[in-house]
Amino acid sequence: MAYSVNVAIEAPIENQIQEIAYDGTEVYQQPLSMSESLSKLAAKIDFGKGQDEKEEKVVDKTEEDAKDPAAYQSSLWPWDSVRNKLKNAFTEVCVLSDVLAIAKEKRYLVLDPVPQEPPETKAMVTVYARKKALGGAATVLLTGAERLRTSQSEAARNRAASDFHIELLALRKNWRLKKVGNSIIGDVSYRTAGSKFASSGMFEVTKAEEEPSSGWSPPQSPSAVAPPPKTPSALRVTLPSELQGVAYIEVHCRKDDEALFSTTVTSSTLNTAGPMPDMHWQKKLEAAQNVLFCKELFNQLAKEAVQLPGPIPHMVVGNQIVASILPGIQLIIGLCHSTATKNKKSGPPQQKKSDHDHVLEHSIHQLLREVHHKNTHHPFPHPSSGPLGPSKQRCLAGPSAVDRHELMEMSKSKTLLEQIIEQTQHFTMRRRTEYVLDTIAKEVRDPLIISHWNSINSPTKACVKVNIMTHGYDTICRTLLIIHVGKKSLKCICRDGSVMNMSYEIQELRDLLICQIQQHQITAVQALAKCMGWQLLSNNTHLGVGEVQQMGNASSCMLASPMGDRLIAVRCEPQAGVHVSIAHSPRKDFYPGQLVKDRKWENLGGGFKEVRWDKMEGKNFLNKMELLMASLTSSS
Amino acid sequence: MAQPLSTAIDTAFKSNIVPDQEYLLQGSILDTSVEHLLHRLRGLCDNVDSGPEQFQDHEMCFTIRTTPTPLSLRVRRALDHTDMPWQLRYIGQPEYGDAKRPTIIRSSIDIGCSASVVEFLTELGCRMDFEYLARGYMFRKGRMKITVAKIVKTNPNKSQDSMQLISESYLVELSVLAPRGQDAIAEDMRSFAEQLRPLVNLDKVDYKRLAHGPP
Repeated sequence: MAYSVNVAIEAPIENQIQEIAYDGTEVYQQPLSMSESLSKLAAKIDFGKGQDEKEEKVVDKTEEDAKDPAAYQSSLWPWDSVRNKLKNAFTEVCVLSDVLAIAKEKRYLVLDPVPQEPPETKAMVTVYARKKALGGAATVLLTGAERLRTSQSEAARNRAASDFHIELLALRKNWRLKKVGNSIIGDVSYRTAGSKFASSGMFEVTKAEEEPSSGWSPPQSPSAVAPPPKTPSALRVTLPSELQGVAYIEVHCRKDDEALFSTTVTSSTLNTAGPMPDMHWQKKLEAAQNVLFCKELFNQLAKEAVQLPGPIPHMVVGNQIVASILPGIQLIIGLCHSTATKNKKSGPPQQKKSDHDHVLEHSIHQLLREVHHKNTHHPFPHPSSGPLGPSKQRCLAGPSAVDRHELMEMSKSKTLLEQIIEQTQHFTMRRRTEYVLDTIAKEVRDPLIISHWNSINSPTKACVKVNIMTHGYDTICRTLLIIHVGKKSLKCICRDGSVMNMSYEIQELRDLLICQIQQHQITAVQALAKCMGWQLLSNNTHLGVGEVQQMGNASSCMLASPMGDRLIAVRCEPQAGVHVSIAHSPRKDFYPGQLVKDRKWENLGGGFKEVRWDKMEGKNFLNKMELLMASLTSSS
Repeated sequence: MAQPLSTAIDTAFKSNIVPDQEYLLQGSILDTSVEHLLHRLRGLCDNVDSGPEQFQDHEMCFTIRTTPTPLSLRVRRALDHTDMPWQLRYIGQPEYGDAKRPTIIRSSIDIGCSASVVEFLTELGCRMDFEYLARGYMFRKGRMKITVAKIVKTNPNKSQDSMQLISESYLVELSVLAPRGQDAIAEDMRSFAEQLRPLVNLDKVDYKRLAHGPP
């Protein structure tokens, strides 16, 4: 403490300002003296503070006690009240110590803890209280949830608006749209692609408003599984009723004998599933466009069917066009259009749908597309100053001095119906040809009949190459036929270059093939004989002897062995098959008779004996012939 | 159908179905911006999915002295389509009309012919006035034909590779051949020309005024 420093503390000199005069001078309060400040501080002490009422009485008593001295001393001494209070306090402390001393003895006074009365617990009150508390918490949570929900729905609404525009943009990319007034009108027609169909393909684009998801649907059974959640499109397209639903062109060929059945079948509507009402707009528009296209196609075909003169007039009844293509065969083109409402009441499922020809349906579609394409794709003129429109053929017509007839030919064009009839005719012809070739190949095992259909063909022309040959001998001889299948006729080019024109009656082709098979056998035998060293004596493709054939003529050939001592005669009949006979020369046995006396005549041969052909060894005709020739060939 | 040919043509002319009037608007565009014009035309015109149609034509103009004004005939052939016939064409005096008329109208009669037409015209006494090559693109919009072509000077002594360009711009023409009196098409042409602005300003160009105007 030696180095302790005295620190002087004093109040700041500045006294409290009592007042400030108008001229700015400040009048300070005089500082309190020591005693004044002490008494002021002491007066601030409140000794009675914190005491209970119990002590109030004491205070009252002390006040009474203090009355008398205060009466004469109050004016004299400012500390009087302080002293009184201290005195009271002292008295109380003394009493307390006495009580404590007595209580400590435990003889006269015992201190017992005051029994605490247990707080009254009412069950209902607590329940109510808890309920209230929980209710409060719940409201907090609920309001929070509500706020979240509103914010989410707000966001969803904003998203729906933006979705609408995004979808509209996507719609605009694929479809024609324009704004008329406040509505957006689109067009599904093919007019810009060259269609000249008068019916309009207008549709309206609207914003899809919120709707109760199951507003219109029939009440579901409680056990029904909830449908999978779908994201509804923010955009809705409204189509006119005639474009709703699904449509297609049904094409099929029918024979006369089944006319009664198929009429009822085709006149009823189709059984494909109708479009769902909540289908995506893209699908909906595509379906509508297809409906429009089918209608245009049918309309065009019906118009042509009425105008087209023919030996048998074409019929247009309701939604069907009936055109006869070949005797006994009719082409039926029907427009099938189903809307959602019709679909519900559609009857039993139709089982004859397999008749529908998808290839022809596709061809019909293609034909109209070609017309559309031609309507828009006119050739450009060269040189460039020429007029737009005329085809190259027409341009050349003038300088190359085309005559009237050629010009008329140039302007001719086939209608859609004519083209499809031609295609159907060809289709029928092709199917018939296929059938004949297949059945003949199945019936005739020897020789083999192999047909190759040319893969390059046109809708009205096909070509098949028929190869007739014998198994194992295909290098020796094969017979080739080319059959051109046209619209109403067949043209067959045979091996020898002869051309056979046949009508649509398919029996002609069958007969021709059977004759060709027989000729093949005879030709093949000759070729085989050449290989074996045998000699061909005679050959006749149209034999005049023997019994009359039902069709064609029998053909024959005569073969001689290398030594000349044996003869084989072969006779092929289209229906009866092959007969083979053999003869010896000279005869083994010679008996001189009345007419033939000399032995030299024995070299004439004769006396053909028929070989029992079915008993011969060998896999097929040529094989049997080979064995026969081998056995008849003598080495000497 | 059985009536004689001359009567048929007379009837056709009388009933006003012969497209002998050419409605024409012309303009030009610099080489540097022609790409933009081609893009716009591709967007506006029909069937450009196969790309714009190119052409390369050779035109010769023959004149014959007649009174009071010399008569000129144009012979044109496509250099890139040699199998197509040549074309002999008469173009009448253009009618500019007043400001209300949207396009030039001039009579135009053309006919296909063979390559010997040049010899034929020379024999008739025609003289070749000028010739040029036009190379460029053709577009179609309905009945309207739009050509964007470069005019090239011909040089008979040299091969076609060394051709001399007349200018650094393309000639743009919008034309329709129609029978007399179909003025509605002219309005269509005007509205189409509006869509090509400001790339190219298709207008009724009066050459006489151009020739006498300031250089």
